[in-house]
Amino acid sequence: MAAPRPARNPINLVVRVLIVALTLATAYIHSTLGGLLFTLNAAGYVVAALAMVVPLGLAIRFRWLVRLGLIGYAATAIIAWYLTGPRYDVAYAAKAIEVALIALLAIDLARNDGNPIPILRAALGALARSINRQRRTPGRSG
Amino acid sequence: MLAPVLGPVLALGVALAASACGPASLGRSAPPSSIDPTAPVVTARDLAFDRSEIAAPADRAFSIVFQNADGVPHNIAIYADSSLARSLFVGEIFIGPATRAYDLPPLASGSYFFRCDVHPDMQGRLLIAGAG
Repeated sequence: MAAPRPARNPINLVVRVLIVALTLATAYIHSTLGGLLFTLNAAGYVVAALAMVVPLGLAIRFRWLVRLGLIGYAATAIIAWYLTGPRYDVAYAAKAIEVALIALLAIDLARNDGNPIPILRAALGALARSINRQRRTPGRSG
Repeated sequence: MLAPVLGPVLALGVALAASACGPASLGRSAPPSSIDPTAPVVTARDLAFDRSEIAAPADRAFSIVFQNADGVPHNIAIYADSSLARSLFVGEIFIGPATRAYDLPPLASGSYFFRCDVHPDMQGRLLIAGAG
């Protein structure tokens, strides 16, 4: 897994600022729509925005996962809207923001973590090894 | 790292959100078109329609007065049935408090499905009966 690198590079900083701004913008739009689903969606975006900048060791170490998670979250929101969502100006603006967000997250991921496939493969391998170790632990009933 | 990021982030986020939800999308500026006094009135309040059925005459154009009393966007969209396979009318989505008169095309006698496209749980039946 790639070692965490602080975003001190000016380009990294700009990209990070844009990511958080776009995430908060789409969170704000969803928060104005009313209803539990939109409110939860907005809350998810706010949490993701915080996770992108919070200077905690755990968050920094797993920033790659936050990036991938936010890409998946935004992509899911776009697909769900495409399948069932209303077509009007605010929705189009929110989806445009989410598309830009995904593009910036991909750039941020590539600049900080490299190719995400080996990262995911390594993470899944570590998870599988951990599960196997637990299965082999003596004293467990089969 | 947090401090230099937060200031610009908040400013940009607010600007983006404000531009996305500008006056054009608020729908408060456009007054209702000429409202038929006999047109059925439907109100959306607290994420619910105040009535589950609307009645209108068959085979002639008619209006529905839609009052959005919520501070969130709503509309009325009419479909042949709840499968949503055939859309018959999609009313403008607008944020309340505001009122719109929707002018609908003639519909044949029968029962139709209506809902708010933004909040699909808000729904009801449009009953079209013999003219008069």
